[in-house]
Amino acid sequence: MEYDLATVSGLFGHAFSMWWIMIPAIMVGLVAGAVPGFAAHNTIIILLPLTLALNVELALTFMVSLYCASHLGGGIPAILVNIPGTGGAAATTLDGYPMTKNGQAVKALALCFVASVLGGLISSIVTLFALPMLSKVGYYIHSVEMVVVMLFGLALIASIAAQDMLKGLIAGAFGLMLGAMGADHIYATPRGTFGFLALFDGVPLVPALIGLFAISEALVMLEETTLVKQGSQSRGRVTWRESAKEVFHAFTYWWQIVWTSILGLIIGALPGAGASIASFVAYQQSLFFSKTPEKFGTGHPQGVIAPESANNGVTTGTLVPLLAIGVPGGSTAAVMMIVLQFHGVPFGPRLFVEQPQLAYGVIAVMAVSYIMMIPFMFPMVRYMSRITVISTVYLAPFIVAFTLVGAFVPRGFIFDMGVAVAFGVIGYIARKTGYHVAAILIGVILGPLIERSFLLAMRISGNDPMVMFSSTIGNVLWVMLILTLALPPLMQRRRAWLERQTPKSHAGPDA
Amino acid sequence: MTEKQAASKPVGADLILPVCAALYALYYVWSVWDFPAEAQFSGIMLAGLLLLLVTIYLIRVLRGLASGRYSMGFGDLFGPRESRRNRSVFFCLMLAALVLVPWLGFTLTTFSFLASSFIALGVRPFWRAVQIAAVGGLVGWFFFIFLLGTHFPKGPFELLVEALI
Repeated sequence: MEYDLATVSGLFGHAFSMWWIMIPAIMVGLVAGAVPGFAAHNTIIILLPLTLALNVELALTFMVSLYCASHLGGGIPAILVNIPGTGGAAATTLDGYPMTKNGQAVKALALCFVASVLGGLISSIVTLFALPMLSKVGYYIHSVEMVVVMLFGLALIASIAAQDMLKGLIAGAFGLMLGAMGADHIYATPRGTFGFLALFDGVPLVPALIGLFAISEALVMLEETTLVKQGSQSRGRVTWRESAKEVFHAFTYWWQIVWTSILGLIIGALPGAGASIASFVAYQQSLFFSKTPEKFGTGHPQGVIAPESANNGVTTGTLVPLLAIGVPGGSTAAVMMIVLQFHGVPFGPRLFVEQPQLAYGVIAVMAVSYIMMIPFMFPMVRYMSRITVISTVYLAPFIVAFTLVGAFVPRGFIFDMGVAVAFGVIGYIARKTGYHVAAILIGVILGPLIERSFLLAMRISGNDPMVMFSSTIGNVLWVMLILTLALPPLMQRRRAWLERQTPKSHAGPDA
Repeated sequence: MTEKQAASKPVGADLILPVCAALYALYYVWSVWDFPAEAQFSGIMLAGLLLLLVTIYLIRVLRGLASGRYSMGFGDLFGPRESRRNRSVFFCLMLAALVLVPWLGFTLTTFSFLASSFIALGVRPFWRAVQIAAVGGLVGWFFFIFLLGTHFPKGPFELLVEALI
């Protein structure tokens, strides 16, 4: 697909023509992002019956708009009540909440919205122009490289996203094992299915993800009566004039928004490294380069800008590995992948050859979604603080009742609802004991894909296992994989050693 | 309870997933045992990887137990004690809904599940729980069955509506 003004304007024009589905998705996404524990992937899961029923382009537009909006919404409770609506907004609490306590909630919200919208817009435009180059990556990735890339993605999730790397690896490997369930690729004989006919095609992905994310979330959220502790609310009413003034003032931080959003885009493109990591890295880098680092943590505007623009930069970045090589960059991308698989959409180079309009269009939709969010900023600054106090005794039963419908829809088996509940139990235990549910899900998704690529490589090489080390790109990736696994424990040991040394060196002269 | 026991981290719950994963890996290997070697290879490699990781984790736990850093308690696995009963009932209601849905159909199952869950979780007065559940059930029916045409099992409500429309 050639890039010229006509093509780009055509993509944007087509994206704008879907405004009627984007606006409701943006509204749902803003609310979903602002309710803690109700992130984009959970909302998309709840709305699976809708997205599975729509045609693929509309379904993707709906999911993408909702996803972008949820990243914007996640900053609202982080600023107002010190509780991040999404993981990506965790770093926003560091300066956003102190601003609220200092009576600058309106300013903090305006900074958050402008950083989110501009950050997301910039990163999606950069991605749109880089995509022709990125789409060719798939030509260099063959079955051997695919195996390593997928293992690398899992290792990244284990080492970065999970607090305990060994637990993250166990979760990922458990997911791979569950993903290998079902008939084998050569002889079509069932493996590890417990004798259930409904599992002969493997673990059904939609029920697995509904269980791991939505059912387990519902079970965990019932431990508290409300999502947000009552009594911690923002003070004061805001005028339209005041909110508009703060929104326009926030644009003066444009340079910080540009570089932190591109940082978010780069981090988002790494499989497994999601918005939460990007926002903390951006916060830390902003502090490092700031002329006033001592103000960070006390309610500094730059401390709100950095994480918000970075976590919205992630939204496009996370789609890059999904589109280019078919490996989801995070939880929401994994959910989108499942919906696209349901619609029979190919990934990697085939996507760019067979359906370029869809591949490039999705990034244009992201950019247009951010443009459409601009008018929402002003009323949101005024009204959004009121939605965070919701009783879980209403929320959890609704989540369970309506997500189980989503588990039933793809295949029409009641059995799949049982699978969702079983995965819900696994997800609940995983959440309560520090195993990463995203690692399990990515394992379940990648299990069959890794196996297929592995068997293909083995067949081509005449069953020579050394084929796994026969390509330069593959070998570079193996080294990176080993470094990803080896460095964190080594650095942890070094830190522990330094900590042990520090008191001694202090104690020495005094003693 | 000694001071050492009180300070140790409970890891009993942390062992549930690795042990289940290891058992599943063993079952998986057993299920492919009679297959041709080519069909066994990938599964056995995955199972080997998982068992290796679980073994490393178990060694870490055993060392922690021996040194007194860990204990075999279940920690916060079941959440706050005061809401455990309600949450257990909620989970049982979830299972009951799965059993009942082929007979009651989507709308009645959703209504019964929502109403009983609200009541079990402490929503009072009862009529409010029933009212919200009824609205939830009807909205669900309208959205998922009437608008989106999901082929859910039909129960008395769906059959009645079909006969009326």
